[in-house]
Amino acid sequence: MSRSFEGVEALRDVSLELRRGEVVGLIGPNGAGKSTLVNILSGFDRPTRGQVLLEGRDVTRWPAHRRGRHGLARTFQHSHAFRALSVRENVEVAALGVGVSPREAARRADELLELLGLADEADLPAAALAHGDERRLGVARALATDPRFVLLDEPAAGLPEAEVPELAAAVRSVRDDHGAGVLLIDHNMALIMEVCDRIHVLDQGETLAEGAPEEIRGNLDVAAAYLGESAVREEEE
Amino acid sequence: MRRAAQLTELAGPAALVLGAALVGMAVSSSTETYFVDTLVKVSIVVALYVFIGNSGVLSFGHVSFVALGAWTAGVLSVPASEKPAIMPNLAGFLRDTTVGNVPSLALAALAGSVLALLVGLPLMRLSGLAAGIATFAVLEIVHNVLRYYDKIGPGLNTFSSVPETTGLWQAAIGALIAVALAFAYQRSRFGRQLRAAREDPAAASAAGISVYRQRLVAFVLSGALAGFAGGLYVHLLPLNTEALYLDLTFVTLAMLVVGGSTSLLGAVVGALAVSGLDSLLAAAENGIDVFGAHLDLPAGTRVIVVGALMAIVLIARPGGLTGGRELRLPPRRRRAEAPTATESA
Repeated sequence: MSRSFEGVEALRDVSLELRRGEVVGLIGPNGAGKSTLVNILSGFDRPTRGQVLLEGRDVTRWPAHRRGRHGLARTFQHSHAFRALSVRENVEVAALGVGVSPREAARRADELLELLGLADEADLPAAALAHGDERRLGVARALATDPRFVLLDEPAAGLPEAEVPELAAAVRSVRDDHGAGVLLIDHNMALIMEVCDRIHVLDQGETLAEGAPEEIRGNLDVAAAYLGESAVREEEE
Repeated sequence: MRRAAQLTELAGPAALVLGAALVGMAVSSSTETYFVDTLVKVSIVVALYVFIGNSGVLSFGHVSFVALGAWTAGVLSVPASEKPAIMPNLAGFLRDTTVGNVPSLALAALAGSVLALLVGLPLMRLSGLAAGIATFAVLEIVHNVLRYYDKIGPGLNTFSSVPETTGLWQAAIGALIAVALAFAYQRSRFGRQLRAAREDPAAASAAGISVYRQRLVAFVLSGALAGFAGGLYVHLLPLNTEALYLDLTFVTLAMLVVGGSTSLLGAVVGALAVSGLDSLLAAAENGIDVFGAHLDLPAGTRVIVVGALMAIVLIARPGGLTGGRELRLPPRRRRAEAPTATESA
């Protein structure tokens, strides 16, 4: 698919496939088109050319909420918590959104708050959460919809290094216990390398490379795009 | 435990309504009228709250649902023998049909909800300023239709001869019904989804919530309650289209804002507080004796004071008197490691 904004091409002939039960990493420098791609996949933007298929159905023209109801969940880069609602209500309402009963929504909320270590904060207003807790709340909310596919937009951004392993475990649990496909966008290369089955590299709106973590790690082009010239020079020396 | 905590949310507003009714019983019959009027205002403001409070979208159009409700209940309850005198051009069906008090209120609610549905289908796609302006247009259109289309009501005349069934009890029970429905709605899956959408529409869509559909549900329920309140109102005093127009729109919105637009408690507190002030000032414009001093304020004082009060609240306390919060039991914290004084004593 492609996407232009007033003549500037943000994405050029990018094709990405996410299957259930796998974690795909989406990496690239700022401005590479990662967020544009996530917005198109989740229905917050439309491609200029190309289409979005969800389990074989063309959903290109579907609004975001309809995709949400059909098993596609996402988190946001910046905080999008329902601030006046309690942490528990944030998770419950996400489940209600996809049509489950209030009782089932409450059950899922209890389970997810436990999984993501938010049980002690359940009755606080979401506005009171610390940054790291807020990132985890976003993930809990996405999982409350019992999705078949999850797009995680920089879930580790601003997270203390010590909390990253917990997040990695949560991502693996989504893949292994829920059988969902996860698209993981992040700048934390250690996290990406650790949990991803495949990695897709974007640069200036184009696919630069795609493959297993080992292949990508060895690809100097990626290093140049991602880490900058200096890093490449250091490696060459 | 959680259920009990939820019920305090209902108990606060309900107790205020009952309290106002009880005080209304204790005062002289001329003062009682103010309390009846106040309780009808509570119903109108709660109707406004159901949509505005839960969605965060402003509506200037709700008084048109109140007006249509008043027209529906009024036209259908004026005794058939008196209809030709005040409504000479009434359409045949309306001229020949007369219903009792309770059915007239139910039909007023129905009329309000149908109008809200028709208007909401196109308008609920809008947010913010666009929604405010568009709903204002609805108020204008409905006002002019009721004013000049005299096949469906008294037109420019005043609605006299409507049985005055809205006494203190009818007004109080009506307000309690409105409060109970508003409470049930905000705890329902619909109300919770709309409140999430109010906080963050994008995140709500990502969770599968159709913001449009949830707004429409609230708008229709809110229209039904507004129509119902209009029915109560027309059974209280003889109304005309002017009484169901800009002043009422302004004062009811001021009540919601002053009380705190995001909570049911705020809607009720605001309606009671501003009504009390408004009634006092209205009386003072005609000259009253308060605590021995004679108070005689120039006409127009009440609107100025209420307007200034709304502005002050918006600046100094944007969440309103209640801060937009419900009455809740204090949250119980987990204190495994720190027993409280009462436990150790």
